[in-house]
Amino acid sequence: MFSISVNDTGIIVLTGRFDASQVDSAREVFSSLDASAVVDFRDLDYISSAGLGILLATQQRLKKGGKAIKLVNMNRMVRDVFKIARFDLIFEIE
Amino acid sequence: MRRQFEKNIRSLEAVFSFLRTFAEEERLDARASYVLDLAVEEFFTNIVKYGQGTGSGVLLEAVRSGRTVTVRLEEQTPVPFDVTRATQNQFDVPFAERRPGGLGIHIAKELLDGLTYDYVDGTSRITLTTHLER
Repeated sequence: MFSISVNDTGIIVLTGRFDASQVDSAREVFSSLDASAVVDFRDLDYISSAGLGILLATQQRLKKGGKAIKLVNMNRMVRDVFKIARFDLIFEIE
Repeated sequence: MRRQFEKNIRSLEAVFSFLRTFAEEERLDARASYVLDLAVEEFFTNIVKYGQGTGSGVLLEAVRSGRTVTVRLEEQTPVPFDVTRATQNQFDVPFAERRPGGLGIHIAKELLDGLTYDYVDGTSRITLTTHLER
């Protein structure tokens, strides 16, 4: 199960497992993003390249306008995946 | 454990359920379970997108032997394609030009302890291996 929501402070919250079958709902939220934002990974258990692709496309689009997304609260395995993909050089990860 | 899955992205949920059952039965640690989920997802979706198989699906077989876990993905196909030789060489390109294509296979290769491909009598077989921490 995967869910994506925006909480009342504007933080994008990812929950569950972000796999290739879940890209549509995530793309809907991220494609409408037009300002810098924080994405909270605290309750995200799993991400694969499908999820990374959505985040990469969002970051590339936002950076053109001088904006960016920041990623926070990743678990160890998710952080490892970002490092292997060298996405730690593309995103601010806290 | 072995099971046949329809070659469709909608099968992913059932694929993960199969792997979850295997992980529980074999008491795999969290890291091994994550690695297998990710690697199987990346290769399964690769087969769904690019496979030229003539059969109806993809056969998954998962086996534990001591501290080693092996998962095989098999597809009947007239066209062999050694996905283990696919390269991901985007790290030197500028950020704005990076594309996600090939990234999943690269991540899977880095996380796995072993990855082989063979093609025999019309069967394409990808074998993934990971070692348990304990």
